[in-house]
Amino acid sequence: MNQPLIKVDTVTKHFVRKTDVAERIAIRAGLAEEPKIVHALDEVSLEIAKGEVVGLVGESGCGKSTLGRVVAGMLPVTAGSVARDGQDIATLKGRAAKDNRLATQIIFQDPMSSLNPRKKVGEIIGEAPRLHGIVPRGEVPALVEKLMGQVGLDPAMVNRYPHQFSGGQRQRIGIARALAVNPDFLVCDESIAALDVSIQAQVINLLVQLKQDLGLTLLFISHDLSVVRYISDRVVIMYLGRVVESAPTHQIFDRPRHPYTQALLEEIPRIDRRGHRFNTVKGEIPSPVNPPKGCHFHPRCPFAMDICRQERPPLVTAETGHTVACHLNGGAGHLPATTQQQTQQGVSS
Amino acid sequence: MSETLLEVRNLKTWFETPKGTVKAVDGVDLTLNRGEILGLVGESGSGKSITGFSLLGLVDPPGKVVEGSILFKGEDLRAASVRRLQALRGDRIAMIFQDPMMTLNPVLRIGTQMIETVRAHAKVSKDEARAMARDALGMVGIPRPEERIDAYPHEFSGGMRQRVAIAIALLHKPDLIIADEPTTALDVTIQSQILSEVQKLTREMGMGLIWISHDLGVVAELAQNVAVMYAGRIVERGTVDQVLDTPMHPYTRGLIDSLPMENDRGQPLKQIPGNAPPPLGRPKGCPFRPRCGFATDACLSEPSETGDLSRGWRCFHPLAQEVSA
Repeated sequence: MNQPLIKVDTVTKHFVRKTDVAERIAIRAGLAEEPKIVHALDEVSLEIAKGEVVGLVGESGCGKSTLGRVVAGMLPVTAGSVARDGQDIATLKGRAAKDNRLATQIIFQDPMSSLNPRKKVGEIIGEAPRLHGIVPRGEVPALVEKLMGQVGLDPAMVNRYPHQFSGGQRQRIGIARALAVNPDFLVCDESIAALDVSIQAQVINLLVQLKQDLGLTLLFISHDLSVVRYISDRVVIMYLGRVVESAPTHQIFDRPRHPYTQALLEEIPRIDRRGHRFNTVKGEIPSPVNPPKGCHFHPRCPFAMDICRQERPPLVTAETGHTVACHLNGGAGHLPATTQQQTQQGVSS
Repeated sequence: MSETLLEVRNLKTWFETPKGTVKAVDGVDLTLNRGEILGLVGESGSGKSITGFSLLGLVDPPGKVVEGSILFKGEDLRAASVRRLQALRGDRIAMIFQDPMMTLNPVLRIGTQMIETVRAHAKVSKDEARAMARDALGMVGIPRPEERIDAYPHEFSGGMRQRVAIAIALLHKPDLIIADEPTTALDVTIQSQILSEVQKLTREMGMGLIWISHDLGVVAELAQNVAVMYAGRIVERGTVDQVLDTPMHPYTRGLIDSLPMENDRGQPLKQIPGNAPPPLGRPKGCPFRPRCGFATDACLSEPSETGDLSRGWRCFHPLAQEVSA
């Protein structure tokens, strides 16, 4: 296999609240507690091939946005490394570091809080190419016009402010701004979650079109599985700071192996299912400040065994291209055939 | 025959602004029976939340219910006094909001707030009220209600807070609950837990429930009937099967088609072109006309509702029945 465009290698990311001098003295003297560590990412590994669309799915607090920011180089890692074209991005300096930052762009969830309300759209889109000298100064307006056309905005609106646009149009501005510096890799962090259904489809179509036209690679972060299934080549499922399963899209939807993935797929509301009796995963998502021992999912997992409470299941390849982190069936995860057996046991016992 | 709980006729809630009159709700008819779950579906700005607020008399100036009638168990709520509405709200009719912190006071223990709610509508001792509060918390699936009743709202997770808000709504076993996007901010597995509780409770207690949502999937799985709103009007209504399997209004069809389905991979999603009209610049005639592929000159005048309150639509060019095939 070719070298992946992005290789995330056992990345751990902790967040700790900063302490001031007085607090540090108090801690030293045993008068205060050490600030709690948020385990946002716990030894996460991930590869993204050139031209691939990877869907990253998980619930709040699972670390998917943190991973997106780490991959984009916006956050330093606590341990591990992120490599782009085989080069650790943390070791890049000067020109190479800048080029790397430009080549990866991120599109955020809320376009209103990521667009400067005091700047005109033309300035928002044109600022980065002007500053970085992507095109000569005089050609910036032409570039802005081209980009606006590319994302389906009327170039005549170049002198308007973000608040004069609808939610869908603002997201198009965010996309145009990201594309302005010729990136080859886009991180879309819940980029369509805030949009109305009818507008979502417009923006998804735009992203797919741009991906084809410009040969982009996408990391598509979302909690919406139906959108992820539509857009992604491969899906990665995260739970509480860890990758629990990764597989080609059709495989993960047809034969999910991790009990958490199975529960997620079951519980996504669908319009073709009526009068559904909700049969739910019990319990809450634990806090990343104090994650459970062993497999993070074990307190909610209907199939948890003793080993799940003690040992972290490694992410192993269960079949070609399909990795899962689950102790069941010797690391192969929970298979549909055993689903029936287990539920029958559950009912009879 | 099921008992009619709520009858809304020609409800109009308008907002007078310096720039003109915003007709947020512009002629809505609704009927809800006991034990029925009605999904009220629409996109932002369609007027679905304002419809919910109007039913409870919770619209603040410059908004005003300017026309129509709201009959709750035969009683006209528009004619009811402020005191009468206060007596009904929280007792016979309850509301659940998207953000539970709209319901909860952050500086009071939830027990204190719940006991207050109980005693506002029933002459019971504090101890009895506390017992009722504890039972309600248990009913919505909060573990160890005996202990948790003394916690503050910030000590709960988002999903648990929403359960507390639902428990408060249930305290007096209301006849009608209006739920405004109560699971939109929650994670899938937590949403599913809440939906399961709500479904069980409506079944057991025979309440009527209006579930306001933009999520067709949730409504499909939860509700029996659905009403689709666009630009302040109900444009289509019927049972969930009727509306989702054989939609008659092009907007409903468009909404359904724009959801990515299993077999859509590799082809562009069907999208509704354009944007919802701004509340002050709604087009003349059918408000969906500028985005509709079927629009003709006939659509320059306003379509009235075809059918009745169990199955109806507002369109001059309803989609043919064979669309369902």
